[in-house]
Amino acid sequence: MANSKIVMGIDDKPLWQSITRKRMELQCCNTCATFRYPPAPLCANCLALESTWTAISGKGTILSWVVFHRKYFDDHVPPYNSVAVLLPEGPIVVSQLEGPEPEGSWIGQAVEFCYAEHAGRMQHHVRLSPSLAHGAEPDKASA
Amino acid sequence: MDKGLSKVAAVVGVGHTDWRGDYKRVRAGEKPRDSIGYGALAFKVALEDAGIQVSDIDGLIVGPTTAYERVGEVLGIDARWGGQADAMMGVIQACMAIKSGLAEVVALVYGNDQRSGGAAYGGDNPTGGVNYLALRYHAPWGLTSQGAMYSMMMRRYMEETGLTSAQLAEVAVAQRLGSSLNPNAIMQDRITVEEYLASPMVCEPLHLFDYCLINDGGVALIIAEAGRARGIRKDPVFVHGVGRYDLNKGATMLEPRLVNYYMPAQKKVAEQLFNMAGVGPSDMSTLQVYDSFSPHIPLVLEGYGYCRQGEAGRFMTEHGISLERGLPINTSGGHLSESYMQGWNHQVEAVRQLRGTCGPRQVPDCKFVHYSSDVAGKAISIIYGH
Repeated sequence: MANSKIVMGIDDKPLWQSITRKRMELQCCNTCATFRYPPAPLCANCLALESTWTAISGKGTILSWVVFHRKYFDDHVPPYNSVAVLLPEGPIVVSQLEGPEPEGSWIGQAVEFCYAEHAGRMQHHVRLSPSLAHGAEPDKASA
Repeated sequence: MDKGLSKVAAVVGVGHTDWRGDYKRVRAGEKPRDSIGYGALAFKVALEDAGIQVSDIDGLIVGPTTAYERVGEVLGIDARWGGQADAMMGVIQACMAIKSGLAEVVALVYGNDQRSGGAAYGGDNPTGGVNYLALRYHAPWGLTSQGAMYSMMMRRYMEETGLTSAQLAEVAVAQRLGSSLNPNAIMQDRITVEEYLASPMVCEPLHLFDYCLINDGGVALIIAEAGRARGIRKDPVFVHGVGRYDLNKGATMLEPRLVNYYMPAQKKVAEQLFNMAGVGPSDMSTLQVYDSFSPHIPLVLEGYGYCRQGEAGRFMTEHGISLERGLPINTSGGHLSESYMQGWNHQVEAVRQLRGTCGPRQVPDCKFVHYSSDVAGKAISIIYGH
């Protein structure tokens, strides 16, 4: 077994540099303003090449979650969770919920992105939003 | 009107290795064969089942786990047409080649030593990670394995529709009934809903019994042009319809899984499939579903219109999905309980059910079999019949 690894494709470097600065940036299309995740060489919506690395708002809502009971990595000791977070910018980003957990369903809970060292690298996680402890169910059409 | 690939070709031979015996041998530390060896053994059985000679074969498809040229070399097949494909695309490509006149009798050969070879489907070097970025991309946040992604998909479906773990248990319980009546199946003991609920979680909400086996083995099929097929045997099993639709947009960020659960793809496939075959869901005698994980089953039931939207849980418990009642699904035990042959063993079961040779697990008066796969948003279906 080994630690989890990040995927460092040809377009991923600015993403991880922004995470290291504790403010995640994603490519936003210069033509149609669609955000790309994971980073990509062109816009899947309009095929334009040019984009601008743009800081995300840091907010989102939980679309779904799982709890691992089997160990796959040295740096993730079960039981631990993974969550899929829908950003208001459009993309779905997989992260982990730290701190207090919702009672009952996690789906629709409002969260905020935070940053911390993990296995020798900076990476993001999410926490329940203090101001919006019970967020609205995300609109499917916007995903 | 051109009916596409309907009744263009038929399966005239099926073969597979000794899954139960090899499972025991591998667990005891032996390595009976490699992937090509398993495939070669299955091919010999399929050829014998069809009652034809190697010289009758003019097309060759090998599974994704073995090299095309080496399999052809080992089997002594020079082909005028060939390729490499998974089970679902293999059957469709064989029919396409036959329809276009590029081949008449195609051998499809699959072998996999995944258990003895130590294949890992999650972790830092997951099998399939080269082709599916999602399998590697979310590892920093602990999300790994196809099973975990189906778990995340299922969690949202359960929260949205009210499907419970006890309802999902019906899949594993029904398939164990099938495998307990199947001498080829690795798992011979029935289980109960209570035993399912008490089994360990792998990735919550999925339990151990929601996951497929990992075992060594091989499967081979012989598919022949319709006229040739009728000459080869009296009971060829025809392909009546096929369909495919792939959801690639947003695949790595899990969008097609978490927003609509791949169902838009299944609906498109259903339209093509049932139109080509000229039949509908109510004509199906049994449903064979690619079941790397049990969530495939409720999603297919809803996606192809076997039940109404959001009612898969109720359908499974009230209508039934076993050989005892309702619509029997994965009658051999499937990947969960017969053998994990990545969709290939389901084709064998479809053929045997239509031949009427399944003994105690035979579906009475079997007329049509629907096979469905929706692995990683690639929805593919095949209807087999007489």
